Amino acid sequence: MDGLLMKKLTTHSLTVSFSIGAIALACTLAGTVRAADISLPPDPGARSATTLASWACSKCHGASANGISISPLFPILAGQNPIYISEQLKLLRQHYRADPHARAFMWGISNKLTDEQIQGLAEYFAALPAVSGKPSDNPALAAKGKDIYLNGVKEPKVVKCAQCHGEVGAGTNNVPRLAGQHKGYLALQLHYYHTKLRENKLMNRNVANITDDQIDAVVEYISTLSGTESHDTTSAGDDDTSSP
Amino acid sequence: MRLLRLGAMASMCLLGGSALLLLSQPASAVPPFARQTGLACEACHTAPPELTPFGRRFKLNGYTLTTRPPLVNDIDEHKRNTVWLTDLPGIAVLAQIGYDHYDRAPPDTGQPYPAHAQSDSYQFPDQFSLVYAGAVTDKVGAWLQLTYNGQGGSVGVDNIDIRYSDHTFDNKWVWGVTANNYVTFQDVWNGFGSYSLPNFNTVTLWSGGVGGAGLSGPIINTFGPGIVAGLGGYVWFNDSLYFEFSEYHSSFAGGGTPTADSTNLGVNGGVLDKFAPYTRLAYEYDWGYHSAEIGASAMYVNWIPSVGYISAQQVLAQNAASLASGLTPTQIANGQSAYATAQTFNPGAVNRYTDLTLDWQYQYNGQHNIFSFLGHVTHERQQNSDQLTAATFTSPVGGPIYSNGTDTLTQVLATAEYWRDRRYGGLVSFTRTTGTYDPLAYGGNGSPANQYEVLELDYMPWLNFRFILQYNAYQVVANNQSPFNLSNNAFPNSPGFPNIKASDNNTWIVGLWMDY
Repeated sequence: MDGLLMKKLTTHSLTVSFSIGAIALACTLAGTVRAADISLPPDPGARSATTLASWACSKCHGASANGISISPLFPILAGQNPIYISEQLKLLRQHYRADPHARAFMWGISNKLTDEQIQGLAEYFAALPAVSGKPSDNPALAAKGKDIYLNGVKEPKVVKCAQCHGEVGAGTNNVPRLAGQHKGYLALQLHYYHTKLRENKLMNRNVANITDDQIDAVVEYISTLSGTESHDTTSAGDDDTSSP
Repeated sequence: MRLLRLGAMASMCLLGGSALLLLSQPASAVPPFARQTGLACEACHTAPPELTPFGRRFKLNGYTLTTRPPLVNDIDEHKRNTVWLTDLPGIAVLAQIGYDHYDRAPPDTGQPYPAHAQSDSYQFPDQFSLVYAGAVTDKVGAWLQLTYNGQGGSVGVDNIDIRYSDHTFDNKWVWGVTANNYVTFQDVWNGFGSYSLPNFNTVTLWSGGVGGAGLSGPIINTFGPGIVAGLGGYVWFNDSLYFEFSEYHSSFAGGGTPTADSTNLGVNGGVLDKFAPYTRLAYEYDWGYHSAEIGASAMYVNWIPSVGYISAQQVLAQNAASLASGLTPTQIANGQSAYATAQTFNPGAVNRYTDLTLDWQYQYNGQHNIFSFLGHVTHERQQNSDQLTAATFTSPVGGPIYSNGTDTLTQVLATAEYWRDRRYGGLVSFTRTTGTYDPLAYGGNGSPANQYEVLELDYMPWLNFRFILQYNAYQVVANNQSPFNLSNNAFPNSPGFPNIKASDNNTWIVGLWMDY
């Protein structure tokens, strides 16, 4: 291996020409791109929503600007309801939504967004193909979560999620789509609502009494939802006849 | 004998080369990036300087992500941007303070008696830096660092990375060009190179010991600011595959013209000859809270070893000319020479190094728990110049510098780090270096071997303010690297240090790192 590499690398002229080639290629690429962007002032406040999605949002919410994040630290935005995205971006921009991750990641980066950009981003991500849930690895837990999701908890009271988010987790208007979302992200948000680190009068009240076990169960069930009425057959709880 | 002695000096300079890289101690996270992006430090860092997947993409995109409005944004009559200036220059200050306690008082370099040495050392500051970091234009970003080095007592140019980057809309292709002065400073993973962990190194025995004491390591580790500069291009494909090709050249800070390498030979044990290609391939796979990387790099170096302050080749030529003029070998050994001191530089005796590195990094970047396991294995093949090697040495005066025609060196480093809520953390790190015995090159028993662990506890009340408690424990330190042994050699008539052990070099370090 050393010998082969040595042969390749000892040829100075070869390496120099590689270098010149690489630089020439880079310059050519640079020139091409600059020509294409020539009329786009590099002002963050003037960038189009789609440019922002590729340039900034993609770093966390899906590298290819597809709105599908890899790490559960960041929500999946693809197919999310546009009114919800728009409302949240405005809450983040004005620093009203103040949960720790909102502060760390979104406060600064949303700071200079214009209303037009927010609207454009909401439409961009809403139009992307949404993610559907998957069958649960833990059907018993999902069944318990299904009960909470569809019926809530009577004592101490936890309001049923389906009341606003729909039986298939699609949400509507400013109520977010939950189907397909990362379990870790959902659990974290429920903790934030429960502890009021994320303020929302309705949600703070709805989950005021929720326990950690109930959070684990309900996000397990939500992760199975498809988000569409006709295809909501992945629910692990469906086979559980003992489930209410 | 003179050549032998000078050869030993050259070798020791090379061994101690890492000590000259003090200017390139950790720079890590800088608030200008946070000011520019509006993001908290944790967006880019698990704990500085280790990067998160986001941090890697920020760097690969040329540090250009910004939410700052431009102060000036002129468009000329051809609708071309003529200037783009942010309203906030990305300036940061960075300070590092260290307090060391040595298990055995180190040698006092000015005195032959160890009783004069102290067991404690306080560096205040160990390092103080001014950094510009951030976007220069919408597609060009830079890291420009100026550092006051406490031990050297001087201010110098430190790490520099200027890069251009662009990408396709779907980010399937990200490409860039980087000009930097530190091999590996441009890298975005932390398993090897300038930002490998552990990253907090204060002044220990190794940074200024007697006779150039210092731990042996691959030559690639010594190519930092003030020694080299390079230009490279890179491609980041499909958010997972990284390829880079760079070339480095000697760029000695304070040196003369680029071709006058002879003026640079006195530093770092030699000088890099012509171009040194460096290439890097890495693959990253992210899933859930996890991120894993495996990569490889290769660097090929032509290296002119210095002998005193001139090249080995010049010494040979000098001796030959002196013999021709009628001087005897004894007279030459006593310093007489017929050779003019101001010679045209002639790079003759060149050693060829091939450094191959395999590196890895696993990260769990959870909501509360962060865990990393990373490291590298570097294998170095050092092909010594025939003119300087024992078996092929032909000069009638002086002596060879190397026992072997080819030497090899292997370094393994593995580190595991854990953080809870980015507040409480710690790491365990293991380093082992082994290689062929070469008594002429390394001196002492001829071994380049060393082995040590770093144990560290961290408390980070704020992400830009960190307390460090570190213990360095040594199991193997070959006698040519140990300041105690070298002190005995330097002062043969003094009582010296009895019963020298590797553990004599164990060191406690209390450190403070901050930037703003």
